[in-house]
Formats: sequence, structure tokens, C-alpha cells
Amino acid sequence: MNSRAAWLLALLCVARCGPALAHSAPNSFVKLSFLAQSVRAEVLVPESELAYATAAERASEPFAAYLLRHLSAETPQGAAWKVDVRSFSHTTYLEHAYLSAQVEFTPPAGAPTGAFVLLDDAVTHEVRNHLVVVLARDAAKPALLGALQYPARRLTIQRPVQK
Amino acid sequence: MKKRWLVTSIFGLLIAASSAAQAIDESCTKPSAGNGQVAVVMAAIQDLEKTLSAEQRKSLERPFVRDSAIRWSNLPVGITPRMGLRLGDLDEKQNHAARGVAAAALSACGLELLDEIRIADDVLKAVDERKIGWDAGNYFMSVLGTPSESRPWMLQIGGHHLAYNFTFNGGREGATPLFFGTEPIRFSAAGIEYEPLVAQSAAMSNLAQALAKQPAAKLSGTFTDVVKGVVVIPVPGKMPTGGTDTGFPMSFPTGNSDRGILYGALSPAEQALARAAIESYASLPGAAITSPLVAAYESSAALAETYIGYAGQPDLSARGSYVRIDGPRIWMEFVVQPAVADNTRLHYHALWRDKQSDYGGEIGH
Repeated sequence: MNSRAAWLLALLCVARCGPALAHSAPNSFVKLSFLAQSVRAEVLVPESELAYATAAERASEPFAAYLLRHLSAETPQGAAWKVDVRSFSHTTYLEHAYLSAQVEFTPPAGAPTGAFVLLDDAVTHEVRNHLVVVLARDAAKPALLGALQYPARRLTIQRPVQK
Repeated sequence: MKKRWLVTSIFGLLIAASSAAQAIDESCTKPSAGNGQVAVVMAAIQDLEKTLSAEQRKSLERPFVRDSAIRWSNLPVGITPRMGLRLGDLDEKQNHAARGVAAAALSACGLELLDEIRIADDVLKAVDERKIGWDAGNYFMSVLGTPSESRPWMLQIGGHHLAYNFTFNGGREGATPLFFGTEPIRFSAAGIEYEPLVAQSAAMSNLAQALAKQPAAKLSGTFTDVVKGVVVIPVPGKMPTGGTDTGFPMSFPTGNSDRGILYGALSPAEQALARAAIESYASLPGAAITSPLVAAYESSAALAETYIGYAGQPDLSARGSYVRIDGPRIWMEFVVQPAVADNTRLHYHALWRDKQSDYGGEIGH
């Protein structure tokens, strides 16, 4: 198979090969949009992996409350940002069930939105192979900003330079 | 007990239905022709190149750069396309020559694993009609850089459930990253029974069961895959990107917390099981590739700082069962996951990394 044929096969998979991705345990991802006054995030958490994490904590609160206990942001100097879970919904990605949360991070007065520290261990505090993949989505092409895996729970975020 | 078989057909004919098979010894220690010696591997590659068209040679030969080196995966080729010479496209003479390269680089165990994992892919193809790339033919061979007895270069052989990445003449020994797995765990094809990872699963479960009575060996947390594997970047509505070793180089646990039990705390019998588990992985490349690494891993100093941990069921009977050997250099993982074609069953993933010499120490950020 040459690379073109492999790519065509890959495209065919968009519609048909979802369960094959179960071959790789699903990861979380956080897609950031940098605004003037805040950073908006789409936070996607795979329900299968989240179940291990909530079971380990015997957590019973609503998802938004659980997320607020495990997801936060702060300035590089350690000042906390305000975090709001504005909504969440169930979604499916290649046959993995995800919880998709719309989250708004607001920095303290005077702090820029383009540089901060993201903290997230919603799943990684329990699932050792789990990754939180963080992307910037307001760039021309979604840019990978970094990833978190246990025991790391802090990721320094720097807004990509706009070209 | 599984029967061990040496599939003697050339690559294109290895599918059990059309291949002759011959039983070999249980321990799979018979050396292959080349045993990983660089001169023999180079000669085999030259023999292969003579059989290839210009276009095929272009597929085989790629630059020894990071982007090429990290392009291995545990996903079917329909998800993560591979590069290289596709073994399923070769004619009989070319297949024979390609098999010569594999035989020169691999031990008999490693060659047998390649054969059996490919047959497993064809078993999946027969039960799962989705166009996702299950196929014994979807295994690839690449030569990165120019084969030489003195300058660094790589040989890669792999596909869905296998990634051999051998670096010759690197700054460090180059047997890793080495990923292998199988679905189904056990199967029958053309009347022959296969269990491709029997040596490694038995070695790891023997070790975990021996240590299960010691609380210090139990790792915290849940394991749903290997920890230091490939990175998939999901993008809803689109194909994910990545699925390759984009996370390299990786960080590894430090300190003495939650890494398992130290080798030195084990009884002599348990220590022997730990060394057997190491050797079950390290026996896959040819001896010339792997012997320096085994010597390094099993030195007194290294073993004194080597941890062994497990999670889930120590007999590897359930999803989430996990065993790990974690030393100053060695990183070997074995995990039990749900099967994909039939999620009521299980399948295995295994990974061997070297914290110092993945890609022969020749690839950076």
C-alpha cells in the first residue's frame, strides 16, 4: 500500500472504523480559544476512562462539580483564574462516548489570557496511561500545546504566535 | 500448552492456509541466520534491493530523521498509515529476500512472533469486514539512512501489532522502541494453534503471581493500555492525527514511590522470574542487537535499582491487568485490554523501551 492508498483508506475510516480506535484507550482533550478577556475551552472526557476515575474517588456529585474539583487555571505566579462550566453534553467520537464541557477561564484583573498554567487530573489521577491532549483551536491549524499524563497535572500554556 | 511452530513460507505465502509449518522447540531459542549482526543484516538488505524496482526501493529507503523513526504505531494502518515497503505487495522472489532481512535481524523467537502476529491480523480480517486495514499484507519494512558498518542507520519492520525498530551503530544500543501485541490471544488457522505472545504473557504472569502476596508490588491506579505508547490526538468530526511516537522522548517515574517492589527485595526464585520476564522480551531481536542490553539490564547495579509492579489480576485473566519492569534503563510493560473485533474477549499489548537508548540514542525532540 502506498501512502496515497493508505490515506484513502484512512478517509474511509472516518465513517466506518470507529471501533478500531478502541484499540487505543481514548484520551481527554482540551481545545482552547484565546479571547481578549478569557479563554474558552471545549473539554472532552471519555466516559469509559472517567468511570474509573470517579469510581476510585467514589465521587457522586454532578459532572460539572466533579470537573471543577479537578480542572483549574492559574497565572504563572500562582494566582487562581475563575473557572465556569457553562454547559456540557454527551457526544460520541468514533464510537467512544465522551462528555463535552464548555468551560470559560477568566484571569485575575490585569493578567493576560495568552499565558497561564492549566491544571487537570480529572482522569489522570486514576488512569495511568491516560493523556490530556491540549490544543489551540483559534490558530489557522489546531496547534498541539502539550499533554498531561500522571503524575503531571500542570501544563504551562503559551498562546501560539498568530501568523 | 501451545504448540510452537515455525512458519517456513516466505512472507507473501505465510498465511497458514498456504504455508508449510514445522514444529520447533518450545523455548524458541534457536538462533536465526544472522542473529542481528550488522554485516549480515546489510548483506540481506543488499540482496533484497537487487530484487526491487526503483519505485519499491524508494519505498524501502527513507532518511534517518525523527519523523521517519517515530512512525510506528499500535493502530491498524487504516488509522495510522505506515510508510515503507509493503510486504503484501511483494512477489515470491522479493518476499524471500525480505524474509532474509527479517531473519538476519531477528532471533528465531522474533521471526516467529512476526509470522504469528501477521497471521492473527488475517484472522481478524476474516471476522471483521470493516475496511480498517487488518491484513497480514499490511506489514512494512523500511531502511532509514544508509546501511553501514560504522554510521548510524535503522531497520524498521512492523504493522498493526508489531513495531521492530533496530538502530545500528547508534550512540547507544538500539533494540527499541519495540511494541508487540496480539488479537486474538489464541487462535487456530488452517488447523494450527497459535498463541503469539505465550512466552511473554507466561513470563509476566508468572512474575506477577509470585509477587502478588507482597503489597509493595501493587501499583496504584488503573491501566487501560501501555503507559508509554503512541499518542493519538483526537479531533471530533475528523480523523485523529498522530498515533505514532510523537511523545518521544518521554519522562519516566522517578523516586521510589508507586513503582512496585525492588528486585533486591525478592527471593532468588522471584528474581529468576524477573530475569526470565526481561529475557522474554529481549530475546526477540537478534543476539548481537540485544545481548549488550540484557547485560546492562541484568548487571548487579541495574537490578539493584529495578522495580517490578503489577495491577489488576496477576494471572492476566482480566482487562486492566498490567505488569511492568522499571529500572535505570529498562521499561517493559504488558497490559490486557478488551478485544476490538469481539469486545467480550481480551487482547494484549506489550512495550519495551529503553530510557537511554530508544532509537539508538540518535533521535531527539
